Amino acid sequence: MRVGVFICHCGNNIAGTVDVAKVAEETRKLPGVVYATTYMYTCSEPGQEEIKKAIKNENLDRVVVSACSPRMHELTFRRTVEKAGLNRYFFEMANIREHVSWIGENKELNTNKAIEAVRMAVEKVKQNKPLYSSSFKINKRVLVIGGGVAGMQAALDCADGGLEVLLVEKSPSVGGMMARLDKTFPTIDCSICILGPKMVDVAQHDKIKLYAYSEIDEIKGYVGNYQIKIRKKATYVDWTKCTGCGTCMEKCPSKNSYDHFNFGVAPTRAINIPFPQAIPKKAKIDPDYCRQFVKGKCGVCAKVCPTKAIDYEMQDEVITEEVGAIIVSTGYSLIDIERLPEYGGGRYPDVITGIQYERILNASGPTSGHIVRPSDHVEPKTVVFVACAGSRDKSIGIPYCSNFCCMYIAKQAILTKDHVPDSQSYVFYMDIRSPGKGYDEFTRRAQEEYGVKYIRGRVSRIYPKGNKMIVKGADTLLGTQVEVEADLVVLGTAVISNSDAGHMAEKLHISYDTFGFYVESHPKLRPVETNTSGVFLAGACQGPKDIPASVCQGSAAASKVQALFSKDMLESDPAVAKVNINACVGCLKCVKTCPFQAIKEKELRDGRVVADVIETVCAGCGVCTSTCPCGAIQLQHFTDNQLLAEVNAICLT
Amino acid sequence: MISQRLREAIAGVFSEVDVALAYQQGFDKLHATPCFMTMPEEINKLIWNPLCVHNLTSYLPSLKKKKVAVVVKGCDSRTIVQFMQEGLINRENVVIIGIPCNGVISVNKVLHETNHEPIEDITFGENGEITVKTLKGEKTLLLSDVCPDKCKTCQYPTPIVYDRLVGDPITSDKSPDSVYADIKEFENKTLEERLQYWEQEFDRCIRCYACRNACPMCICQDSCIAETRDPHWISQRATLSEKFMFHMIHALHLAGRCVECGECERACPMGIPVNKLKRKINLDMKELFGYEPGIDPEDKPPLYTFKVDEVTIKEHKI
Repeated sequence: MRVGVFICHCGNNIAGTVDVAKVAEETRKLPGVVYATTYMYTCSEPGQEEIKKAIKNENLDRVVVSACSPRMHELTFRRTVEKAGLNRYFFEMANIREHVSWIGENKELNTNKAIEAVRMAVEKVKQNKPLYSSSFKINKRVLVIGGGVAGMQAALDCADGGLEVLLVEKSPSVGGMMARLDKTFPTIDCSICILGPKMVDVAQHDKIKLYAYSEIDEIKGYVGNYQIKIRKKATYVDWTKCTGCGTCMEKCPSKNSYDHFNFGVAPTRAINIPFPQAIPKKAKIDPDYCRQFVKGKCGVCAKVCPTKAIDYEMQDEVITEEVGAIIVSTGYSLIDIERLPEYGGGRYPDVITGIQYERILNASGPTSGHIVRPSDHVEPKTVVFVACAGSRDKSIGIPYCSNFCCMYIAKQAILTKDHVPDSQSYVFYMDIRSPGKGYDEFTRRAQEEYGVKYIRGRVSRIYPKGNKMIVKGADTLLGTQVEVEADLVVLGTAVISNSDAGHMAEKLHISYDTFGFYVESHPKLRPVETNTSGVFLAGACQGPKDIPASVCQGSAAASKVQALFSKDMLESDPAVAKVNINACVGCLKCVKTCPFQAIKEKELRDGRVVADVIETVCAGCGVCTSTCPCGAIQLQHFTDNQLLAEVNAICLT
Repeated sequence: MISQRLREAIAGVFSEVDVALAYQQGFDKLHATPCFMTMPEEINKLIWNPLCVHNLTSYLPSLKKKKVAVVVKGCDSRTIVQFMQEGLINRENVVIIGIPCNGVISVNKVLHETNHEPIEDITFGENGEITVKTLKGEKTLLLSDVCPDKCKTCQYPTPIVYDRLVGDPITSDKSPDSVYADIKEFENKTLEERLQYWEQEFDRCIRCYACRNACPMCICQDSCIAETRDPHWISQRATLSEKFMFHMIHALHLAGRCVECGECERACPMGIPVNKLKRKINLDMKELFGYEPGIDPEDKPPLYTFKVDEVTIKEHKI
């Protein structure tokens, strides 16, 4: 065995706190190592050439690169050794940057640790076996989960590129949060006017199949070959017959149904079309409020419907679809206002959330765009906005910034002045965060042209006095207490993940952070990929973000899918579990623990039953290998022997 | 007499099975030994007394393809339940003949009481008194003094599963809290004390693997890490660390599976309390998952299932 070791300086990143020459010197003493050298940037083209040259000149059959995390360059170097004629799995990486040089300052200790890391990698690579990937066909259809602006953009970009797209939207209409907004910052464009055409495109595109009012029940399979179960929830209206005329909604006697689209600003009917521009523009019944369901008799809508579309007996329908890639754009939720008792959230009708105010401002909203306060429908003259209502507040478990509240508060304050010229708005803020293009100018305009009073400080308490709301807070710039008598208070409530975000992540086998936002593969360089190949992220499900950022991600995710689908066959990763049938005792515990259903039982010719791994389904997670009591199932490239060699390298020497 | 009723019970099912497992007299009066009966005349060999300590169910997985009648005590029956949970036996191929049991005898304890004199004869009284006759004379012992520790806290004197029951069911008069009282007490020691204790105990291990061979739940067969050299987890060296490693792996392989039959400890020629580790893990399993091995055939061992969210482990909480 002839192992070659290449130790990278990474400029000063490694060489600054690790004596790389000494690491090379010590490495040369290891059994099996015939060549060890250092290089300034091993990942550079000349660095890779060095490896290829050494493989040839020194007749190397194993290569170790001691540099950064394998997540950065493992693939680079695998390709390098493959080009030089070695199997790509005869390569190991020792991470002496993230694991050593970046985290310790003592050069001597770091050098020793680096030597140990290299020794482990050398022992591992000596145990490595050549592995070969097989290729499999891919299904070039895309599933987009969530029809907000990010999901629609992704669906349209995929469809325009010729891919078949399934767009699954949980609510009765696509559009998401953006469809609820009145205007968009910083241009004060009418939100639905710019979103509407996209929604129509989605509906009319012959490559897009829209599943509105549907949810994902189950996701099985792997990149290129997913089987999806989609639950079409019962709308109790046959959408093939419904023309969206709205007669049912007009005549429905149940007038106190909660309006999800308007965030409860005003009630709606039990049978309703969420908003005039809804796509698809079809009615659905809310059985929690419909008299036919609650009391067992009514049937008014069925009587008035001109196309006889009402079907009270309708059941959920589960449809199975097959796709090759998934774009997740499930969006965000807002913190429940009742979690903010100091602001009177939920107790006082005139303390509302930003999104509710958005619906009040909106011409197609319940007040037809007239600003009135919920309690007495009087036009408010003094409006107080509270930024960071829940955001950046560790005490309620939301330490992060919600990203776009500063901007929409400035927008809403400007719009308030437009609607009610003799009004005065106040904004309590912690910092004004307006780093986007034209954003800072916009917040300045709110202050300078529209006379919005910005008070830097937090609100301590909001309580009613007569028909006013008293907002008590601090002005930290003046160092005084302030008190504002407001007619209406608008809270810029914190952005949170959807309540079912965790369940969705588990269905998709992707990771999510403590707050339920999905984790991208790399925060800078792989922002729309996940660590599960074939699953991509777009929009606020990955973290709070505004419309332009969501649209960017939608397009980015679509381009990633296009790139993935540019090939007809995909290569499978050979680092998967493998059963040694001679050692397998057929207890089949691995079958029960496999989270991917990738193991099945197989009967041998002699009647003995053993476990059998379906290679393409196996994700290489290793749960089975830790379950198997007799070590009969081993994860290729991470076998017991290979790991043991590493452990022995540090423990026994 | 129970022995006679047991013979009748086995004779009654003998034609249905390929082999019947029970106990016969061993090499001396103090030892019973398992007997495998395939012919009707062999039934007369079988005996029943408190010396019938072995867990005969250990043989069932290797006889999976045969029809077997087996004599079980309460504690042994838990093994069958666990086998059923793990799919290691076909229940319909096993005829379980249960015997309610008031406790068995620890041979080692008797030998200790009689100074390891050769035993001439041993007789059992109605109320748990045992008369042991040696060359040096007679000694009367109480069953409660010479029973294995597991009998002192036995919760299941009557088999949990059986097809025929010989004798009347007995209910346990032992407090459930007493089962793990010794473990809880041991846990009060400091880490160093516990390490020292185990190092002392395991140092005596001669790596005969009797504990493993006696264990009904050990299933690795020829792939046991004790002997396999690929992967090379343990070497042949007789060092403390190798012995320690073997016992730790043995204990972990039994996590949430050990039915506490105590065969490992009974078989150990060096008197190492090997069951203690497994019982400690069982206690943890009980506290973490509310799971006790070998009680309900419908249960699923928690470590042999995959759940995204464990009710008692809050790692996925948002």
